[in-house]
Amino acid sequence: MFWQKDIETMRRSELESLQLERLKRIATYCYNNVPFYNKRFDDCGFNVDKIKTLKDIEYIPVTTKEDIRDNYPYGLFAVPMKKIVRIHASSGTTGKPTVVGYTRNDLNMWTDVVARVCVEAGATEDDVAQISFGYGLFTGALGLHYGLEKIGASVVPVSSGNTEKQVLLLKDFGVTVLISTPSYAMYIGEMAKDLGVSRSDTKLRLGLFGSEGCTEEMRNAIEESMGIIATDNYGLSELVGPGVSGECHLRKGMHIAEDHFYPEIINSDTCETLDRGETGELVITTLTKEGIPLLRYRTKDITRLNYDTCDCGRTHVRMAKVMGRSDDMFKIKGVNVFPSQIESVLVTTEHIGPHYQLTLRRENYLDNLEVKVELIDGSLLDKYSELENLQKTIKHKLRTVLGIDCKVILADPRSIERYVGKAKRVIDLRNE
Amino acid sequence: MLIWNEVEVASRDDKKKIQSERLINTVKRVYENVPYYAEKMRQVGVTPEDIKGVDDLYKLPFTYKSDLRENYPFGTFAVPLEDVIRVHASSGTTGKQTVVGYTKNDIDMWSECVARALTVAGVTKKDVIHVAYGYGLFTGGLGLHYGGELAGATVIPVSGGNTSRQIQLIQDFGATVLCCTPSYALYIADEMKEHGVSISDLKLKIGIFGAEPWSEEMRKEIESRLGIKAYDIYGLSEIVGPGVSMACEFGNGLHVADDHFIPEIIDTETGEVLPDGETGELVFTCITKEALPLIRYRTRDLSKLSNEKCACGRTNSRMEKVTGRSDDMLIIRGVNVFPSQIESVLLQCCEVEPHYMIYIDRIDNLDVMEVQIEMTQQFFSDEVRKIEAVESNLKHEIESALGVSVSVRLVEPKTVPRSEGKAKRVTDRRKI
Repeated sequence: MFWQKDIETMRRSELESLQLERLKRIATYCYNNVPFYNKRFDDCGFNVDKIKTLKDIEYIPVTTKEDIRDNYPYGLFAVPMKKIVRIHASSGTTGKPTVVGYTRNDLNMWTDVVARVCVEAGATEDDVAQISFGYGLFTGALGLHYGLEKIGASVVPVSSGNTEKQVLLLKDFGVTVLISTPSYAMYIGEMAKDLGVSRSDTKLRLGLFGSEGCTEEMRNAIEESMGIIATDNYGLSELVGPGVSGECHLRKGMHIAEDHFYPEIINSDTCETLDRGETGELVITTLTKEGIPLLRYRTKDITRLNYDTCDCGRTHVRMAKVMGRSDDMFKIKGVNVFPSQIESVLVTTEHIGPHYQLTLRRENYLDNLEVKVELIDGSLLDKYSELENLQKTIKHKLRTVLGIDCKVILADPRSIERYVGKAKRVIDLRNE
Repeated sequence: MLIWNEVEVASRDDKKKIQSERLINTVKRVYENVPYYAEKMRQVGVTPEDIKGVDDLYKLPFTYKSDLRENYPFGTFAVPLEDVIRVHASSGTTGKQTVVGYTKNDIDMWSECVARALTVAGVTKKDVIHVAYGYGLFTGGLGLHYGGELAGATVIPVSGGNTSRQIQLIQDFGATVLCCTPSYALYIADEMKEHGVSISDLKLKIGIFGAEPWSEEMRKEIESRLGIKAYDIYGLSEIVGPGVSMACEFGNGLHVADDHFIPEIIDTETGEVLPDGETGELVFTCITKEALPLIRYRTRDLSKLSNEKCACGRTNSRMEKVTGRSDDMLIIRGVNVFPSQIESVLLQCCEVEPHYMIYIDRIDNLDVMEVQIEMTQQFFSDEVRKIEAVESNLKHEIESALGVSVSVRLVEPKTVPRSEGKAKRVTDRRKI
């Protein structure tokens, strides 16, 4: 099923000429309407006439989250406020939030790209969709809300929190599609079991999960425990929110809405553009946004791109599941570690549950990593030798994957904090 | 004067013609598609043919909140679920909730009613609207959101909570319009003082307040403390949500969107229709809604009607600010609470007697509710630790039933005042 079939299956040559035309237009638009870009182009001696092919995008300097923060709140807007109909902002746990503005056309575009994500994942107008993302300035909830409403599904805007009620509504309203973070989906599944709500009591069949990374192994664990198909989608508020890319039913990468978002992969350290298929940081240029157009925005997300045509018929490039954010990545004993690598190991190990927490400490000038994970069956804690064997197995697997030794702690079931939004799994105490 | 829709100044005769035509169609549709209401009509011997216009409205049976509960969740809908694109519901997890559904046209109509209301208050596309109503199943947040967006203003979907952040955003984003409950507006004013933010730091000029009763004195206080003009917006989710009626600057009551909702005032006891100017229970009939066209819905709100043309030029029916309730429903921080919900929790707990008193105060402009409950004689002799455990368990159960926070105190047997005749369960000490 397609939402905008002509665009989603457009021949690559046509798509690329559309991108080139839009790139020239958006670069000119930025130069004329955003003082920040005007100055930046002039400073580095760039002018739009230099763009002859898509490759020439590399002449344009990258834009970073700091650039948005430095121009807080509205400095990067390309239109006057009367044209802006919506504002979103990042949570801004540190310092000022990142602010984004949408014109009416931006909202329509956003709604369409989210509708594509929903339809390609398999949602239809017959579905009842429960949105368990937190509503508000965060783009996750309202983004999916508008997209699902557009495709004609029945939207149940529950927002996050009150997990007992989430389960009750899931059952009573005959919800077929759940929208949340993958970690919250796990928590809802766990609560359902506690309340004696079994799989056959609900009509849930599909999950549209996003806003935090989720390994293939975690996906399998969710699918198995909830009896649903779990799909992944991707976006970030600076670009538009969810809808930048999403998995089709074949689930071999997320199709980027390339008619609106032009992707590149760069080396995070040198900013050099990498060859097709190589792994690096995703950089996106918004090709059509009016409110806050961004050129070569550094997402900090590490992935790779696959340009082969997908068996679903879509020609738009697929990005691999995000391995991690370049700023999630931590360096320990000289080794780069992504939490997702540890998650893959844990979720595929018997006897332990999918809830974990990583703590980094510095003791005697040496970094160490503690991996705390829950046992499925708490009575194992009484069996010393079995416990020790399990600990050894996990340590060994982690050493194989990461190349370093970790401290492994097996904890009681339900002893690790649950999150109703994005899970916070890494605690770095090294600088305290 | 700004008018969103010409129908707001139509002559009474024209209006009556529109209402009659729409009523006839609605009754026909409901009779064919909503079994429980068709049955009600049969019981009183009314057929759709008997309804030839607005003057026949009184012949139709009433709809009660209990009808919605008994047909939980979707039994009151007049369209198949695939045509429903949104579901809202009352708060609370236990007991049956009130569930409402909307088709695409219903959402458009609702947004239009809210856009009209915003226009009455003088909001234009140049305004920046800070929506601090909770987003989610409650209709307040999403209702104002869609209306503001339709009006072309810049909508900032902040949702409730985190007041110091609310103040930072109002200031930084240059909000000109504030939407929330009136008590929360005063709380924001208190917190501003605390943070050293003065009204000259803000661009606020208009407040749209509703979802709980408030007095003329409170309106004046909000206006002077926030330096704004404060308007009263009215609605209830069963009818559509906010936007059912809206006060204009002339202070002659609230303009009802009577091309969509026909208002009546009845005698609560006899059900007889009362003439304009007499106080009684407000009853609404939805004449354009597709998913949930409630006929003669008993709001339990006390008010009176006027059909004189207003000084602002609008000709639609005006209802007086709601002065009270014909039942025992309380509104705590915008959430509807019935003492019976608390009672049903207590009856399931064997350590307490069903003797209780609900105390409501307004402390620092926030509603605070405490429930005092008598322990059983037997339990009273037990240890303090056990009492605390029961208190915290009851607190959790009541909060989950009501969807609003509460403090619970167990008191000695025979200390809750007894009353002869009808028990007095509520002591409302709020000065509104």
